[in-house]
Amino acid sequence: MSELANHTKTARASDLIERNDVTVTNIAARRGARASLDELARATFGVSLPSTPKAVEAGGTLIVWAGPDQWLIIQKEETGRDHYSELAKTFNGLASVIDVTESRTIFRISQARPSPVLSRSMGIDFHDAAFKPGDVAITHVSHLGVIVWRLPDGTAYDFACARTYSRDFGDWLRKAKA
Amino acid sequence: MRINCPHCGLRSNDEFSYLGDASVVRPDPAAPNATEAFYAFGYERANIAGPMQELWYHAAGCHAWLVVTRDTRNHEILDVKSAQEVALERQKAAGTAQ
Ligand SMILES: [Zn+2]
Repeated sequence: MSELANHTKTARASDLIERNDVTVTNIAARRGARASLDELARATFGVSLPSTPKAVEAGGTLIVWAGPDQWLIIQKEETGRDHYSELAKTFNGLASVIDVTESRTIFRISQARPSPVLSRSMGIDFHDAAFKPGDVAITHVSHLGVIVWRLPDGTAYDFACARTYSRDFGDWLRKAKA
Repeated sequence: MRINCPHCGLRSNDEFSYLGDASVVRPDPAAPNATEAFYAFGYERANIAGPMQELWYHAAGCHAWLVVTRDTRNHEILDVKSAQEVALERQKAAGTAQ
């Protein structure tokens, strides 16, 4: 368990947490398979795969746009279930499906509105009117690549970065969110 | 300078990397003049003063290649398209199905 995960035990509601209870799967549509993939996704999740930078919630699964024809599927870990294998089986042939749980770290800041420091520190417009609940941006922070999304219910901001940089980035977030 | 990525919206140019002239197309290696054509493809570039089509890569964003029409005199961005879209249009225009 990481240093930050320990920190979360005593965290206040608005504090920064590292999400260790989810599996993250990257799916990328194969060439020409976008439409049939979406049909299958609707049958599986009940929602369309977003074609613009959006995150959609579907029965506990969060589908996050991760570039053209690519998505992150974020699911809460359940004992006895292998989310990745299920997705790989479902989308076999229509998408490449990769388990990125161990390569991404997701931080969550439970704030309904961005702190002024956070708003000013990234290149994207974090104003409440510009970055709405369900919005996604792929960008960088001090040269570290991140995908940031605001939860569809507007209660928090999630930041996914490469795990290698998670200590650095977590440290940055801890300072920026204050 | 900011570039309006068709996928991500307006972003600072520090998120992008530049490749160069987007108008050059890889020649047919089986053509009789292939050597000359590849020389031109590799080295010959017009030094345009005005709007030119350029390849930019949204490296720190959505990882899409873009064709940006930029005025080299004042950095005004006149148009941005996804490179995939441009390539498909070109293939269609050339009448080839690849
Ligand atoms: Zn982009």
